[in-house]
Amino acid sequence: MSRRYRKLAATLTRVCLCLGMGFGMGLGASPAVAEPLIVEAALDRPVFQPVLDAFSAEYPQITLDYRERSTLEADRRARDAENPPDVVISSAMPWQLALSNEGRAQALDSVEAQQWPAWAKWRNEVFGFTFEPVVMAYRLELASHMPPPTTHRDLLDLLTDYRDWLRGRVVTYSPRDSGVGYTLLQQDARYTPRIWDLVAAMGAADVDLAQDTQAMLEGLSDGRYWLGYNLLGSYAMVWAQSHPDIIVQVPNDYSLVLMRMAFVHRDAPHPQAARRFVDFLLSRRGQRILAGSTPLFSVRDDVIGPYTAQRLRDQVGDHLYPIPINATLLAFVDPLRRQAFLRRWDRELNILSE
Amino acid sequence: MNARPVSLKRRLALWLTAIVAGLGTLLLIEAYTSAHKAADRALDGQLAAASLTMAESLQWPDGQPTLEMPASALQILATQWQERVFYWLQADNGRLITRNAELPISATMRDAASHHPVFYDADLDGVPIRLHGREIDSAGWDTQEPVQLWVGHTRRGRDLLAGELFEKSASRFAAMVLITAALLMIAVRALLAPLERLRRALRDRHPDDVEPLDLEVPREMREWVDTLNRLLADQRDRRATLLRFIADASHQLKTPLAGLQSTSELALASPDPAAWRRALDEVHDSASRTSRLAGQMLSLTRLRHLGPDQERQPLALDTLLRAVVMEWADRQESRDHDLGLALECALPAWVAGESWALHELLNNLIDNACRYTPHGSQITVALRDLSPDRLELSIEDDGPGVETAARERLTRPFERGQRQDTEGSGLGLAIVDSIARRHGSPLEVSAVSPHGLRLSLTLMRLAPPEADSDTHTPDSGERA
Repeated sequence: MSRRYRKLAATLTRVCLCLGMGFGMGLGASPAVAEPLIVEAALDRPVFQPVLDAFSAEYPQITLDYRERSTLEADRRARDAENPPDVVISSAMPWQLALSNEGRAQALDSVEAQQWPAWAKWRNEVFGFTFEPVVMAYRLELASHMPPPTTHRDLLDLLTDYRDWLRGRVVTYSPRDSGVGYTLLQQDARYTPRIWDLVAAMGAADVDLAQDTQAMLEGLSDGRYWLGYNLLGSYAMVWAQSHPDIIVQVPNDYSLVLMRMAFVHRDAPHPQAARRFVDFLLSRRGQRILAGSTPLFSVRDDVIGPYTAQRLRDQVGDHLYPIPINATLLAFVDPLRRQAFLRRWDRELNILSE
Repeated sequence: MNARPVSLKRRLALWLTAIVAGLGTLLLIEAYTSAHKAADRALDGQLAAASLTMAESLQWPDGQPTLEMPASALQILATQWQERVFYWLQADNGRLITRNAELPISATMRDAASHHPVFYDADLDGVPIRLHGREIDSAGWDTQEPVQLWVGHTRRGRDLLAGELFEKSASRFAAMVLITAALLMIAVRALLAPLERLRRALRDRHPDDVEPLDLEVPREMREWVDTLNRLLADQRDRRATLLRFIADASHQLKTPLAGLQSTSELALASPDPAAWRRALDEVHDSASRTSRLAGQMLSLTRLRHLGPDQERQPLALDTLLRAVVMEWADRQESRDHDLGLALECALPAWVAGESWALHELLNNLIDNACRYTPHGSQITVALRDLSPDRLELSIEDDGPGVETAARERLTRPFERGQRQDTEGSGLGLAIVDSIARRHGSPLEVSAVSPHGLRLSLTLMRLAPPEADSDTHTPDSGERA
C-alpha cells in the first residue's frame, strides 16, 4: 500500500469521526429526550416557583413534575414502594430523618453535597436547604388594646392578663394534624417545660388549631384571629408585605428555625435528574434565587440577598435556634412518644378550663 | 551444569523477605482482626450506653411497660458517624412496645439476651448492622413485666475506625520492616567485611608467599584462618624439605662428578698408559656408585609420589624374610658380618603389603647395617608378635650406634649418622621410612645397650587366606 493511500484513509477516518461527534452532540442537546423528574414537596408552589423556574431554565431537558403535598402526605408518598418519587422535600424534619434512617434516601457525593455545612445535613443524604424562622403574628389592632408580645413570656402574660379579650382569637398549629406543628412544639418543650404553661394559657383562651400557616394567616387577615403562635416566618413575612395590618414578630428570647429537608429517594426512577435537582438546591445559583426571590432564606454564607440566614441573624440577633438535624429528631416520630406527647398536650390544653 | 555461585547477601535477603512476608501476613491478619475487635469494643460501648439510657426511661404505669423514647439515646446510638439507628422493645409476653425497624432478632438471640446482655452482627435488608440486646427487669408495687430491649446501628463508624486502626498498624509495620531491612543491610555488610578482607589478603598474596596470614578476624572465622595457616605451614615445610633434598642431591652428585673430572684430568696429563688404566678403573667405580645413587634417589622420589595403598596384597612376611636373608648371606657385602634371622612369632605371618616395596625395605635395612657396622658385627633381623594382630619387624646390630641427636635425623635423605667413611648414598633409611609409612608405621630408631642400633616398624597381621597354603612365597604377591 502506498503512502498516499494510507494518508487518504487517515483523513477519511478523521472526517468520519468529526461527523460522528457532531451527530452525537446534536442528539445530546436535542429536547427530544426529555427526562422526567418527580418531586413530592411539602412546600407551597407559589413561594418556590422562582427556584423551579431557574432549574428548568438551567436543565431544559428535565421535565419537572412538582407535586405539592402536606407534610404527612409527602411522607406517605415517600414510603410508596410501587411509585417512589425522585426527590422528597418536606418541613417535617423528624419524618424526613426517619425516612433516611429507614434507608429510603441515597447519599450524594457531589461537591455541593460534600461542602454543605455539617449542621444542616444528615449522612450526606438529607439536606436542610432553607432557614425559616418560626414567628408570632398579630393584628395591628391588638396593639391598641394591649402591649404587643415580643417574647414567649410576653405571650404568656398577655394570654393571662387579657384572656377575655383574646378568647377565641388565638391560633396555633395543631400538633396532631400537622407534622410541622408537632415538631415545633416538641422542640419548644425540649427547650423549656414552661411551654406547657403557655399551652395551658392558650387552652384557657380557647385556642383555635390550624393545619398550616396559610390558614392562620388568612384567619388573621379575616379578623377571626388576633394572635398567631408558631407560624412559619417565610410565609408570614411575604403575607405581611401585602397585608399591612398583620405584624410579624420574631420572638426576642428565642426563635426556632425550621429547615426544609430534601433528599433523593433510594429508588428514584430518575436518579440522574434527582441528583441534579438537589445539587441545584444546594448550589450557589439555587441558593441565590432562594435568597433573592423567595422568603425561604438561604443557608449559604456566600449568597447575598434580602433572605439569607446571615442577614436574618444580623436583624434579629443571635437567638435563632435551628432545629438540630440529628438522630434526636427520630425520637419525635416514635409512636409511643408521640402518643404520650399528644396526651399531655390534650391534658395541658384543658387544665385551666376544668 | 555450571550453577551460579550463591551470594550470601542475596541469600540473606531472600530469607529475610520470606520471613517478613510470612510474619507480615500473619501480623497484618492479626492487625486486621484486632482493629475490627477494637472498633467493635469502642462502639459496643455506645450501644450499651444508648440501651441504658432507654432503660432509664422505661416505665410501668399500671404494670404495663411503656417508654417515652429519650432523644439522647438515639443520638448516642447514631454516634459521630451518623449511623442509621434501630430499636426494638418487646414485653416478655410477646407484646410489642415500640420499634422503628423490623430487626432480624431470632428466638435464640432473644433467649441469650434474657440471661445476659449480648451483641450480635446481623443483616438488615442487605445492610450489615450491629445489635445489642438485654432484658430489663424492675421492681415495683405491682408485678412488672420484664422487657427485652434491643438497639442497633449500621457499621459505617466501625468500618472507618477499624480501617484507620488497621492503616496505622500497617504503616507502623511497614516502617519497621524498612528500618529493619536498612539496619540488616548495614549489619550484613559489616559482618561480611572480614570475609572480604581475607579474600583480599589471599588474592594480593605472592604465589611463593607461604608466610602465615596476619588478619584481625572474628572468633567464628579464627578457626579457618588457623586451618589456612596450618596448611601454609605444611606447604612451607614441604617446600623446605624439597629444596633441601634438591640441594643435597646436587651436592651428592657433585662430589663424584668432581672426582671423575679430577681423575680424568690427571690421567690425561700422564703419558703412562698404566695410569690411564688405573684412572679408568676409578672412573668406572665412581660412575657405578653415582648410578646407584641416582637409582636410589629415583626410587625415593617414586615412593614419595606414589599414591597410598597402591597394590597391597596378602603375603607371608616370614617367607619373604627368609628368602632375603638367605640371599644376603651369600653376598660379598655381608661376608664379614654375622647375619641372623629370628622368627619369634606365630607362623605363618601374613601381612598386607607391596611385595617389591618390602623387598626393597629389607634390602636397604640389611645393606645399611652391613655398611655402617664394623666387620664382625652381629646383625639380627627379627620378626615377633607385639599383640595377636601386630607384628614387629626389626633389625639390630651391635655396632657403634648413633648419637641420640643424630638418631632423629637418621631417616632424612643424605643423613649418614655423621659418618663420612662409607660409600652409602645416605638415602637408604629415607627409603625405608617412606616404605614403612606406606605400610602404616614410621620407622622407629632406638639404641641397643651396651652399643648398637635397632630399627623397627610395626605391621598389621592378616588372617591367612583360606585357599592358600604355607608354601606361599613373596613372588605369589607379585604374580597377583
